[in-house]
Amino acid sequence: MARILVVEDDRDLNNAYSIILKNEGHEVEVAYDGKEALAKLKDFSPELILLDLLMPVMGGLEFLQNYNLQKAHPDVKVLIFTNMENSPEVGEAYKLGVRRCIIKSWTAPHNLARVINDTLKQKDTVQTPTS
Amino acid sequence: MPKSSPQKSADRAASEQRAEAEALFTSIGDGAISTDEFGKITRVNPVAQKILGYTEAELVGEWFPKAIVAINADDTIMTLIDRPITKAFLTGHSIYEKTFYLRKNGEKVPVAMTVSPIILNDRPLGAIEVFRDITLEEEIDRMKSEFISLASHQLRTPLSAIKTYSHMLIDGYMGPITDTQKKSLHTIVGAANRMNELISTLLNITRIESGTIAVTPKPVELGAMMDEVGKELSLMAADKAVALNITMKGSGSTTIKTDPLILKEVLSNLITNAIKYTPEDGRVTVEIKPRPTDVVFTVTDTGWGIPEEAQDQIFTKFFRAPNIVKRETTGTGLGLYLVKGLVDRLNGSISFKSKEGQGTVFSLTIPRSVRRSGRQLTAAGG
Repeated sequence: MARILVVEDDRDLNNAYSIILKNEGHEVEVAYDGKEALAKLKDFSPELILLDLLMPVMGGLEFLQNYNLQKAHPDVKVLIFTNMENSPEVGEAYKLGVRRCIIKSWTAPHNLARVINDTLKQKDTVQTPTS
Repeated sequence: MPKSSPQKSADRAASEQRAEAEALFTSIGDGAISTDEFGKITRVNPVAQKILGYTEAELVGEWFPKAIVAINADDTIMTLIDRPITKAFLTGHSIYEKTFYLRKNGEKVPVAMTVSPIILNDRPLGAIEVFRDITLEEEIDRMKSEFISLASHQLRTPLSAIKTYSHMLIDGYMGPITDTQKKSLHTIVGAANRMNELISTLLNITRIESGTIAVTPKPVELGAMMDEVGKELSLMAADKAVALNITMKGSGSTTIKTDPLILKEVLSNLITNAIKYTPEDGRVTVEIKPRPTDVVFTVTDTGWGIPEEAQDQIFTKFFRAPNIVKRETTGTGLGLYLVKGLVDRLNGSISFKSKEGQGTVFSLTIPRSVRRSGRQLTAAGG
């Protein structure tokens, strides 16, 4: 069981991910944009953040910059969950320290749960920047 | 009243002809600049003066390539050999290009131009360039691309919800369901998948056909990129029970300078196709072989293959091989058309070998270095 923060502006999807992750036994908190996520993080210390990129108020990249993932929170694992595959934003997110990018519309719930559980088991804290 | 001499009449006629030519040149609705055979500017019409910010007096007599500075998309000054006027003089043909000119006040202005050599009795007399300011057109194109990107993203979000909730029902998150209900839900997921693929493809085709796919070369470490592609497609392969293996061959440098987004799109398409058209328990193998001047990617599958009679049409728009249409009723026939267009943008080449029922090998060759080209967009994704 792990503490997970889901940051997704689409309420239907946010609700779905919460159900899937709670079903796996995780403790889940939700936020609907990057700003709300930063506020939640004052009282909630997640082991993993599931982060959308394109959101109103504050998007995923701006959230990562403000959160200062690599320096301030190197142990927190961030997974990008987006439909913007092959976009420059995904490359930027890797540079900011995210572990993996998952394409929403390709990923079935059981695969999402598997990827999250696999990522939580990874012990390394080294980030993998890509092009 | 004295009669006009024939000489005077001829002079008057010549003078009228010159005035008419002058009026014609001045009245051209686009910018127009003429030069002599050495490239020295002889005339500049009012529209050209307005676009460039120079008066005719400031330009006439100056050497065209020096007086009017052309800028590449990456803000470097265009070399003499790349200037359309040079090409027109060297080839003797009209040259059509889009580029940027530097205004007198230092601003960059996008222009579309045609430069034509003026040839009389096989002797070059000079050149004429007609050009127009395309700032507005470029802005409309940019807005169109941004709109398509945003619309694609917005279309996909409800699709993701449809798929996710359907899967949750199938996987029993909301309690047990009957086999008939499960079958219906799989139909919904399949339809959502097709819609999703269609959105991706249409987005990319629109970009290619409107010429808005810019090539932005960056150092690309092939190992890291293939790792990323592999991770993204491993779930799809697992769902289809197809083994996906990606290996690097040889000892050449694995860092090249190309557009990572375009290359990734090409490889994702080829590998997705291979997985899609390979039956369960099949294999898809991707090999990357860096060579001194290029890199060869081969995507080999144990799938249904392409019939011989269909092979010459495989890269054409909307084409689907008859053996695939029988097995997979869905599909747009746009995937390989898109791949070919993207490979061309990277100055690469693509070929294949296939035998029906035995599988297909696609070979993609990409140069180690590609030049920046096209309008550089900041908006992307979908």
